[in-house]
Order: sequence, then C-alpha cells, then structure tokens
Amino acid sequence: MCLSEMKENQKGLIQKINGDSRFISRVVSMGLPPSSPFLVLQNDGRSPVLLYSHDTMIAINRKECMQIDVEMA
Amino acid sequence: MRTIALLGQPNSGKSTLFNALTGSHQHVGNWPGKTVERAEGFFTYGEELYRVVDLPGSYGLTANSAEEVVTRTYIEHGYADFVCVIVDASQLERSLYMLADFAGIESPVMLVLNMMDVAEQQGKKIDVQKIEKMLNIPVLGFTASDMGGYPEFFKKLEKAIDSPSKISSEKIRLIVEREGGSERVANLEKLESLIANLKCYNRERFWVASKLLENDSLVRSEVETAVTPEHWNQIKEILDSEGSDGGLLTGEAKYRFVSEILRDASSSCEKSVSLSRFDRIATHRIWGKVAAFFILVITLAVSMMIAVPIIASCFGLQSVAEPLVVKMCESLGWWPAVASFVNSVIIGGLAVTVAMMGFVFAILVTFGLMEDTGYLARSSYVFDSWLSRLGLHGKAFMPLVSGLACTGGAVCGTRVLDTRGQRLFAMVLLWSIPCGSKVAVVLFLASVFFGSAAPLFGVIYVAMIFASFWLSSKLFGNKLMPVNERVGMIMELPPYHKPHWKILLKTVVRNVWAVFKKAILVIWFVSLIFWLISYSKDGNVEHSVLYTIGNAIEPFTQIFGMRWQLFISYIGGIFSKEASLGVMSVVFSSTSDAFSLIARNAAGANLGEMMRAVISIPEALAFIFASMFNIPCVLAMGTTYRETHSLKWMLAIAGYYFAISLGLAFIVYHIALWVL
Repeated sequence: MCLSEMKENQKGLIQKINGDSRFISRVVSMGLPPSSPFLVLQNDGRSPVLLYSHDTMIAINRKECMQIDVEMA
Repeated sequence: MRTIALLGQPNSGKSTLFNALTGSHQHVGNWPGKTVERAEGFFTYGEELYRVVDLPGSYGLTANSAEEVVTRTYIEHGYADFVCVIVDASQLERSLYMLADFAGIESPVMLVLNMMDVAEQQGKKIDVQKIEKMLNIPVLGFTASDMGGYPEFFKKLEKAIDSPSKISSEKIRLIVEREGGSERVANLEKLESLIANLKCYNRERFWVASKLLENDSLVRSEVETAVTPEHWNQIKEILDSEGSDGGLLTGEAKYRFVSEILRDASSSCEKSVSLSRFDRIATHRIWGKVAAFFILVITLAVSMMIAVPIIASCFGLQSVAEPLVVKMCESLGWWPAVASFVNSVIIGGLAVTVAMMGFVFAILVTFGLMEDTGYLARSSYVFDSWLSRLGLHGKAFMPLVSGLACTGGAVCGTRVLDTRGQRLFAMVLLWSIPCGSKVAVVLFLASVFFGSAAPLFGVIYVAMIFASFWLSSKLFGNKLMPVNERVGMIMELPPYHKPHWKILLKTVVRNVWAVFKKAILVIWFVSLIFWLISYSKDGNVEHSVLYTIGNAIEPFTQIFGMRWQLFISYIGGIFSKEASLGVMSVVFSSTSDAFSLIARNAAGANLGEMMRAVISIPEALAFIFASMFNIPCVLAMGTTYRETHSLKWMLAIAGYYFAISLGLAFIVYHIALWVL
C-alpha cells in the first residue's frame, strides 16, 4: 500500500520510495529511508499527510505520498 | 586567518550559533556568480582571527537547489579549513544523517550536538564521550542559545583545529557490503575501479562512487568529463541497471551507520505521540488558515506597539527641528534654499526612514518569533496548496500578508524563504500588494469620483492583484523558480520551542540597523532628486524644473490620460502614497503650501471638490488605476535593494511596476474615452 492510504494513528514502515533520484534523495535526507518506522498523525484525505518519525513531524504532499510504499507495523 | 564552515540541517540552530559567534561582525552578500545569499562573519579567540561561513541549510550533501549546490560545492572542494557539523540533539538520529553524508570528505571536522537542553527536557540521555569515541572526531554537547556554553565551545574548537581529525566513510562502506547483496556490492566495486584514475581531491573514492550510485548530477557530470568514453559507457550501464535503488541502498546504509553509533550512546524513554490540541487546529485545512491569519495580525499589532513611541517621538522631533533650522538659516543670512534642503531632504528623509523602521522592526520580530517557536512551519503547511500554484513555498504566506501592513517591511520578512529565487519572486508579488496607505489613497480617489460605487473599486482592485500575480508568475516564475526544481511539499514541522528572546531581539535590532543604513541612503538620494526637480524659490510649482519637464512631456503623458498635474502627483506617489495626495492638493488648489514632492502636505479639505471640478472621469479612472500598481514607496525600493543585494533587480522590479501601472492607465483611459 502507499502512504496516503494509511489511516490516522496507524504505525508503519517505509518499504520503498519510487521516483527519480531527486525525489529519493529528498525523502531519504528528510529522515525517511526504507525501513524507517513512522506513525500517521493526520490524514484527512485532502491536506498533505502528517507523520511522525525519528522524533519529528513531517508533512508530505498527497501526490508524493503515492510514490512511497509502506507496510503496516 | 582560519575559515570555519558551519554545516547543518534547517532547524539545527546553525544560524543561532553563527549569530552568537560573529555578533555584528557579519557580512551578507551573494556567492560570486550565484543568486544565493552568502553570510560570513568574523570572531577572534585568543590571538587568532577566525572567519565563519554560514552555509545555506540543507538536509544532506546531494544538491538539488541552487542553495544546496553552494553548500555541497563548498564542502566537497574543501574551501574551509575546518568544518563544524551542527546537529539537533533532540532529533539525533535524523539530523546525524548530515554527518553520515559528510563522512568521506577529508576536511578536518568537529561535531556539535546543539539543543542539549531540549533533549534533556524530553528525557533523552546522550553520552557525548561515547559518541566521540565511536566517531573518532571531537564532539561537543551544548546549547547555542545559552551564552554560558561558549567558553567550552571555543576551547574545543581550538583543540580540534590544532589536532585535526577526519571522519572516514569506511564504516558506511562495510554496511553497504553487508546489506547490499553480492550483485550490488560487485557493482559498487566495479564503479570504484572505473573511477580509479579520477582525481578525488578532498574526497574518498567511496564517497564519489556512492554519490554516483545515488545518481547525483554534479558527480555524474564530473566523472563523465574525466573518464574515457569507454569507461563512462560501462559506468552508465551499471547506473542504469541500478536505477533509483542505488540511492536507497546508500541512504539506508547511512542511517544504519547513525543508529549503530547511537545504539549505546543515547537512550530515550518511549512515549506515545499524538497531535497536540493546538496542532489539531493549527494544521486544520480551514481552521489552520483562520488561526494563521489571526496569529499573524495579533503578533504584528503587539510588536507594532513597541515601535509606535519611537515613530511618534521621531515626528515630534521633526516638527521641533524644522522651525529651528529655518530660524538658524535666517539669522545666519543663508539662502532659504538651504533651510528647505535641510528640512525636506535631510530631516524629512531621516524622519520617514526612522518611522518606517517601526514596521520593519515589527515584521522582523513577528517572523523571528514564528520561526523560533516552530509555528511558521504550521502556517506554511496549511497555505502550501494555495501558494504552490504560483510556484512558491507555503512559507511565503506570512510575508505576503504582512505586505498589507507595510511593503518595505514585508520585503525584509521574505528572509524566511529558503531560496533566493523564491525570495525575489515573493518581493515581486509584494510590490503589488497594497499597504494601508495605498488602499486609503485608492479608496479616497474612488469615493471622490464615484461616490457610492467606490467599494466596487475595492473588488476590482483585488481581482487585479490576483491578475498581476498571474502575470508575474508567467514573466518571472520560471526564471526564478525553475519548474524542474519545484517539488511537492516534504517539510519538517519542528517541535515547538520557547523563543530565545535575547538572541531574537539582538538579531532583529542588528538587522533593522543594517536595513536603516541602506534605506536612508536610498531615501536621501531619491529625496534629493525629488527636491531638486520640485524646488522653486517662491513655492510656486510653475517655477520648478518639474513643471518645465512636466509640460514638455505632457503630450506623452496625455497618452496615459494624465495631465502634468496628475503625472506629477503620480510621480509623488513613488515617494510615498500620502505624498501623491499632498501634491494634488498643491497643484490643483492654490493653497498657500509651498509645492514639494516630498513635504507631508495634508490633503486639503476641499480637495475632493476641486478635483471633481477639473478632472474628467476618464482621467480619474486612469489615475486611480495607475495608483493601484504604482511603485509602492521609496522605503520599499530601499529594502528591496538591501535584501536583493542587487541594484539591477530593484530597478527591474521598479520598471516592471512602472510599466504595468502606466499600461493599465492607458487601457482604462482609452476604453473610458470610447465608452463615455
């Protein structure tokens, strides 16, 4: 499943990031490389998804969320 | 003199450290040939003078934006004698990625764990000595906003410079080999052997090879030109087969490296995380926007209150000083022109500048607070979807809205934006957002000529502002914010922090002073020109140079529906919006006020009637529309000059709005002539 399908308060692990190397380097350097655990804080279906990982909150646009494969933890 | 580079992620407290180290010994300019701001400063410790370069914030060393290219190139080529990597101790695992990405660069380095106080409050235990032992480089745990920690910082720095140590990428390489699978390890080794003849300069070969694997564009083009075409084809084959997975492998390995270091050196108590009640509102699709607006307005109003006494006393002093100057000149037997010059150019310019600094101060305090507390990121989050349509980051919301208070001040506020292209573009947009006085002038004129239909002009004005946004984004957007550099929001919303009042106010005062120094020069210069062309011995406008020029070019300005009186008022509007009404008052009614483009003449009580009697409706329309997009004021020009560090850009933006406002006047005037 992709990140935007996760519901609020669900925990997950990043599996794979799809996209060009620019996108990948951005996501990785922000602190979300594969196998990072995270918690979805807010996903209202319209705004960017808010998640918590490595001690901080990160907002990711919905379109970009579709490029991130995750699994539930 | 030794050069120290500060390298760190955004929100790591890098700027706090930079400001504390260099104080007022700072110089901000542009990187040569680049449109990126360069901040450097100096400090002395012991006998030695140090130069500190504050590199643009970046999450890693892979370069995607112009700012990141500057940081990366500076580090990669070892331009600094010493590198200080600053990380946020309260988010060690994430922010140490920068150090992991740095590993393999052969510059001497020291690691600073900043915000130890926050980490402690969160119940995190960090064993600095253990981290030091694991990394084999000097590591300091400290809090940049606490001046008490600096003696130790200097001691550590001096020692680190005297016995330099580097951080090797060897451990990351081992992790890649362990985790990567035999095929990929073979690929990596092949890459390394293919670039065996490449001059790596300040970098370990593995660092270059792993950047290749990450498809880093800088390293790619460097290698392509350095190796034989045959080797390059082989390299390309490997990179193509790896695709985007190569970057994931090295990225994961760097984080693994970090967590192996932290495994025994840091511990934190597990606690459940959820969105705080305030954040529920602050990040809400609708309430978040409402909250952002109110928080901004209230903070601005409160900071403005601090500035009001200064402004008031400044105008008070002006009214005391002016008659004194006149008397003094009379008693000395000097020409009255001297008194006029001193009063309108020197004293008048000074008073206007100081008064305007009140707005700059209020806006800088507000934005500093928003950034310091972490709220700025929340407001950016809720407004990103609107602003991204223009190519801007959500952060631009705050400066754009404060443009309603003061254009010149808001221009300084664009500093919260991360790239220079974004800042320049926000400034272009800001010039079209009317401040309070501009709105007042436009609505006054509209109500004089169109009575109860005046609110309609408000609606048209708002629509035109959005139209000008569209035009600006078409004209400047792609140049300033290349489409291929625009990316959907992936942004950190840092935890809330208490503001560091002392450092914040110090920084604001220093910045206001720097803005003042530049603005006063521009304002004096423009005042001088305005004074020269509008001066006449007897105060009669018909004896001024401006009248001669105005009359000579009247056939030309008529094209835009402006007679000389109107055109002069329009020009006065460039100085300040109030000036355009004052000028009108003098040129249309034969009041006793001496004519001047810069004097703060009050608009006469019967100004409206006078104007209705002599100005036709098409002319009025032309003037109103020209006023809407006229250059905001001389302070906006001054601060734009100071913030862009470029006279060329300031003049380009001024020329752009000059053209828009006259073009609009032309269209409106001719349509009105045709219809009426």
